[in-house]
Amino acid sequence: MARRTVVIGGGAAGIGAAGAAKAAAPAAEVIVYTAFEDVGYSPCGIPYVHGREIPDFASLFLAEKQAYVDAGIDVRYETTVLGFDPAARTVQVEGQGEGPVEVGYDALVIATGFDYEPPGVPGEDLSGLYYVKNIRRAMEWDKILDSVRHAVVVEASPLGLEMVTALAHRGIDTHVVDPHPWALGELCDPDIVAPVQESWADMGVTMHWNTTLRGFAGDREGHVRAVATSDGELPAELVVVATHKVANTALAVAAGLRTGMTGGLVVDDHMRTSAPDVWAAGDVCEIPHGLGGLPLQGLTGSHAYAQGKVAGTNAAGGDRAYQPVYVPWGMVAGTWMIGGAALGEVTATALGVPHVVGKATGISRARYFPGVRPVTVKLLAEPRTLRLIGAQMVGGEGIKERADFLALAVRKGITLRDLASMENVYSPPIGALNEPIVTAAQAGVAT
Amino acid sequence: MISRWLRENAQQCLLRDAQARVARAHGTAPPPARGSFFWRRIFVPVYRLTPWPVRRRVLAAMPGSHRRHWPGPTTPAGPAV
Repeated sequence: MARRTVVIGGGAAGIGAAGAAKAAAPAAEVIVYTAFEDVGYSPCGIPYVHGREIPDFASLFLAEKQAYVDAGIDVRYETTVLGFDPAARTVQVEGQGEGPVEVGYDALVIATGFDYEPPGVPGEDLSGLYYVKNIRRAMEWDKILDSVRHAVVVEASPLGLEMVTALAHRGIDTHVVDPHPWALGELCDPDIVAPVQESWADMGVTMHWNTTLRGFAGDREGHVRAVATSDGELPAELVVVATHKVANTALAVAAGLRTGMTGGLVVDDHMRTSAPDVWAAGDVCEIPHGLGGLPLQGLTGSHAYAQGKVAGTNAAGGDRAYQPVYVPWGMVAGTWMIGGAALGEVTATALGVPHVVGKATGISRARYFPGVRPVTVKLLAEPRTLRLIGAQMVGGEGIKERADFLALAVRKGITLRDLASMENVYSPPIGALNEPIVTAAQAGVAT
Repeated sequence: MISRWLRENAQQCLLRDAQARVARAHGTAPPPARGSFFWRRIFVPVYRLTPWPVRRRVLAAMPGSHRRHWPGPTTPAGPAV
């Protein structure tokens, strides 16, 4: 009988795991259970459809359903996993007209993802509160957006930034409410995010920083009509709740799997959980940071997919390891791109990590080339050795590539002296004579 | 779980303190203080006075993925060509 790998969850981690399991053992049986109607799409693209930068939701799908059939991956849609028993190696499932049934497995991959942290205020049960996650619901919300005049985004998290920008693009009067003193307050430094906030102001967005959410007020039909905050009541027909991602561990915890200090499942470099023959990947688990080892939960889609590949390969009998993370990140917000890697000034200060800073502003192309935009790079380094420990950037273009490179530079122990003398591409349409990373490193060396 | 409660509270208070410090360093108004007396007035100063190696040992002793096996960074050996 063929070895059977069961995957719970059809997001980036789940589909990555299923594909890798099939690739590692083509004769093996791979079953994916998902409670939803679809798998293998990019939920991260949803804000850009809402903002009309992408024409339709269809383009967010990685593949047609038939492609999974052709690949030999048995996807069970709209099927709920009620629980699993690591000792008996069974999952209990229900759906598609079938009552609860037990299904045996040889290997199990938990890829149940995240839930948004409940706001914890009155009025959470009102209609008109939008949790951006499922593509079918997003399609319904997109039609509703045509009639929305006032919207409030709760928390300027990464998703919150994208949704604020999308709603403003859509011409909706948008307010953002956040307990922090600036956008992305848990991750980003104030000087890096300041241009984003200025561009939001130009787009007509109203920002409420250091502001506490107190509740949602509804009308007689039970639909939200306003958001109560410490900065007053804000009218809204739509509220986008973009709170923290919390690991969806309910099934795993019920089965006795261990969680760590973030609430995510504890895993090792092979994505093995604390239970035999059970692996985990994506937002449901926590991964140690490469600097200091502090576990992190709720990373990006690319992290989830890569972890899924590792978990799936190992679940199918292969041998593949994941690495501690240095978290390159980036996004478009307002009219800017922002990004970074590892630590910023705020996070280094919060951890109490000593650091020196080198910062410089350059340009993205030759100064005479159409479309040239400023690029500000800030580098953080360990004071004695000048080893890079983090970076943050804001600019018109080229932020993602710099973030990826600088994350690897942190991982490999590159110093500001290395960066201060690094070579760079010069080509008028894509790069200026002076690379901003180099000038920022030179500034850091001079401190 | 106590480690999760500890992490959440410590993270919130240390972050708020860091936001205030960085805001001041950038010449902008610091955010209003938040958090209970213990976390703001006792935990944060004690944490900041504790040497990093000690802090690191305490963090390492907490339960989580970091206590399982993870590879360290690799260094190149010899010339590439």
